[in-house]
Amino acid sequence: MNLERLPNEEKLTLCRKYYLGKLQMYVCVWGFAFLPFLWLVNVVWFFKEAFVKPTYTEQLQIKTYVKRSGLGLLLWVAVLTTWITIFQHFRAEWGEVGDYLSFTIPLGIP
Amino acid sequence: MLFVPVTLCMVVVVATIKSVSFYTEKNGQQLIYTPFTEDTDTVGERLLNSVLNTIIMISVIVVMTIFLVVLYKYRCYKFIHGWLILSSLMMLFWFSFMYLGEVFKTYNLAMDYPTVAMIIWNFGVVGMICIHWKGPLQLQQAYLIAISALMALVFIKYLPEWSAWVILGAISVYDLVAVLCPKGPLRMLVETAQERNEPIFPALIYSSAMIWMVGMANPARHAEPTNQDTGTFCLISAYNPLALTMLRGVKLGLGDFIFYSVLVGKAAATGGDWNTTLACFVAILIGLCLTLLLLAIFKKALPALPISITFGLVFYFSTDNLVRPFMDNLAAHQFYI
Repeated sequence: MNLERLPNEEKLTLCRKYYLGKLQMYVCVWGFAFLPFLWLVNVVWFFKEAFVKPTYTEQLQIKTYVKRSGLGLLLWVAVLTTWITIFQHFRAEWGEVGDYLSFTIPLGIP
Repeated sequence: MLFVPVTLCMVVVVATIKSVSFYTEKNGQQLIYTPFTEDTDTVGERLLNSVLNTIIMISVIVVMTIFLVVLYKYRCYKFIHGWLILSSLMMLFWFSFMYLGEVFKTYNLAMDYPTVAMIIWNFGVVGMICIHWKGPLQLQQAYLIAISALMALVFIKYLPEWSAWVILGAISVYDLVAVLCPKGPLRMLVETAQERNEPIFPALIYSSAMIWMVGMANPARHAEPTNQDTGTFCLISAYNPLALTMLRGVKLGLGDFIFYSVLVGKAAATGGDWNTTLACFVAILIGLCLTLLLLAIFKKALPALPISITFGLVFYFSTDNLVRPFMDNLAAHQFYI
């Protein structure tokens, strides 16, 4: 997909669709389907369109969607970082619960 | 322009093979396509079993290719799409889950289920979107490379030693036949697609650029999903007879990526040292160069496997058996040339 070749309305719909994170099938649980990666792709792909190119009519909406995706992304990054830090730090102390949550358990003595 | 993705794919496979031991461990499990075991008592039996395995594998591939061509001819597009979506689902979720698990075990990291679920879910969903719908070109290409690498790793793990080498050889011959013979299935596929003026199977193909088709309102999309059961082994030049194409890109089937990586990966896994791996790598790139040259001369769909795989096999066996002992001896006697 080469962005320059799309007419402006298509660019807008594309950006909006990426923001909502929906597929054609029913996947969207609790609104945003837990897809921060999708929002990241949205932000990176449309960043130049929204902020660097000279203004055109649909650009304002594209800007809004990119900003919202960016906010959602930052929120998710904060949540994930916190959870990972907590888990890595307290995993050993949680005993049973820690093991139950673990996908891989490191071998050896810490 | 195809060198970068092919190199990337091979680098990923070799890096994984050298670091994650899971993919080189043989635990007796084999694919159902290669039922004969190689744990036999005599060399002759082992050779026989590997040849039989190859025959079975190649027949499976032939049957699938013909099935695919028949479906395409009778316009059963929905079936084909469904099949491709299922295969890419399996690749993107299940195989990457396994891969991630093995990488974590190798580096002895703790990881919890929620985080892993998030990672795999995001990776998979965005992959499906990029490949089957719309996405940035580089991301599509990256996903296709990732999928080819995963598939190659699965082949390296589950194909027994000698069978793998015989299969590589047999597949190159099949590729040659299927693409160049007038009644070959892949050639028919290419010709049917050209008659209907459709992008040549919007699946299984990696393309280095997007193409504009003259007279169509929408840009034609390429670089779409993968079907790891067969893969189209043809190298097709994207050309439009009216010479009004905005961009020319070269396309390479994903099956080609997979088998190149299988060759280099096997060389890395069993070949001893880096000399062999590097030799195979260089051989494949030279083969690719020659194929592209031939493509520029003949301007029609060409098989990409034969030349590269032949060079690769020749270089592998000669380096392993001739060059390596030679270098070892030189080093042992401290003789520098």
